[in-house]
Amino acid sequence: MIRFSAVAKRYPGGLEALRGVTAQVAEGEMVAVTGRSGAGKSTLLKLAAGIERATSGSVVVHGQNVGALGETALAVLRRRIGFVFQDHKLLFDRNAFENVALPLRVAGFARDEAGRRVRAALDKVGLLAREKANPVALSGGEQQRLCIARAIVNRPSILIADEPTGNLDADYAAAIVDLFASFNQVGVTVMMSTHDEASLGRLGCRRIALDAGRVAGEAQPA
Amino acid sequence: MSVWLRLHGHALGDALRRMAAQPLGAAFSVLVLAVAIALPVIAAVALRSAGALTSGVETDPHVNVYLTLDATDADVKRIESALRSNPQTASVRFISREDALAELKSSTHLAEVLASLDRNPLPHAFTVRVRADDVAKLTAAREAWAKLPAVDQVVADFEWSQRLRGWIRFGDRVMAVIAVVLGAAVTFIVGHLIRLQVVSRREEIEVSQLVGATASDVRRPFLYHGLLQGAAAGAVALVLGWAATAWLGAELIALTPAYATELKVVFLSRERIWLVLGLCAFLGLAGAWWAVGRELRQFSPSGRNP
Repeated sequence: MIRFSAVAKRYPGGLEALRGVTAQVAEGEMVAVTGRSGAGKSTLLKLAAGIERATSGSVVVHGQNVGALGETALAVLRRRIGFVFQDHKLLFDRNAFENVALPLRVAGFARDEAGRRVRAALDKVGLLAREKANPVALSGGEQQRLCIARAIVNRPSILIADEPTGNLDADYAAAIVDLFASFNQVGVTVMMSTHDEASLGRLGCRRIALDAGRVAGEAQPA
Repeated sequence: MSVWLRLHGHALGDALRRMAAQPLGAAFSVLVLAVAIALPVIAAVALRSAGALTSGVETDPHVNVYLTLDATDADVKRIESALRSNPQTASVRFISREDALAELKSSTHLAEVLASLDRNPLPHAFTVRVRADDVAKLTAAREAWAKLPAVDQVVADFEWSQRLRGWIRFGDRVMAVIAVVLGAAVTFIVGHLIRLQVVSRREEIEVSQLVGATASDVRRPFLYHGLLQGAAAGAVALVLGWAATAWLGAELIALTPAYATELKVVFLSRERIWLVLGLCAFLGLAGAWWAVGRELRQFSPSGRNP
């Protein structure tokens, strides 16, 4: 479902984030991307989500070569992928409900249908009671869950999360990991980066280890 | 409802909400634009009024040939034949002395004076419409006709008519220049205002793009905003123009009794009003398109221009 073939990514300024990465994530699989800070985890996830474009090599998602897609087709592809950002990217001039509704608004959903889906997503992450709250009023863990609600509201077939347990205490991190596991159990392909060993142990999924922009190894679940 | 219609509905609602959220700012923006648009509107009204004033005035080059008071019907036929045979002649209209008197009575306040005369003082006349604007050829024709027997006087008023037409043409061009310059100003002002909005909503745009908004999705509410701003400014400009010309018109009407011709301010026709509104909306749209396109190029999520 997601295939990276000899992917390299060089940012303007010369930073080489990825160097010839070849990897694959099967449909319905859950994969953890591991590695130290600067290893290229976030870049790999952004390439899979169509947020970045590879400098060379190819990234194929849902059978589409991301590099060959035009901007509009790429935007449409992004609607089919849920992405949980490391820095959440929440809008603080809108409440929780409006933040989660944003992808549906972009896709042109009817108000009633959008309302049902947003409430279902908020319920899934345990924030239904806080739908009117401004993200500023939410804790770090709640903000993370709000970001997850926004990522799943479109019912994506692929869910990508960049360090979703970073900066969270152990209990919150465990709850988030369980949440991703529950999505994967209903057939959603999950790809997440983390360097949190506790989370990795709890996930029990295949790992792709990156080091200095290269695949350093892969490990199957024990 | 189709997704396309729903997206446009969302965008229109978004633009209206943003204008309503900052009523004072929106009103000032519209007023600034309206003042700029009102100038060509007032100029157009002035030209239209001048056009109405001169519509009854003969501005095509022509020559009036007046016969002597004792000219006979045979003289009339002979002179008409001579006039028609000249290559500079486009058409000839005969005005009998009786017709001339009747026309004079109906078009001036001299009816009582004319009625008191014991005989018609006006001669037979021909109005000759000439083909060329060439003053030398027309002067030669005038001199030839003046020498015809039973011709008393030849008056060629093509010079002043040409000058009048020239002034009207000049007025049209001045108005066109003002309209183009101020139209460009409107486009840039709207563009600048929209650009500020895009910058202030950068975060929202970025997140929208990350969750799947296309360049069109991002651009749409701003385009509606520009369009609404332009149309609102056009409407206010029309009201300003109407108020200004109504005020000036009142002064002009006060001057009317001093002249034989009626002076009045003629506001824009209904078609012109719609044209002004449509043009202003288009300029707002164009300004918004330019500004959003320029800003979006700077923050495309995948590093390509939208």
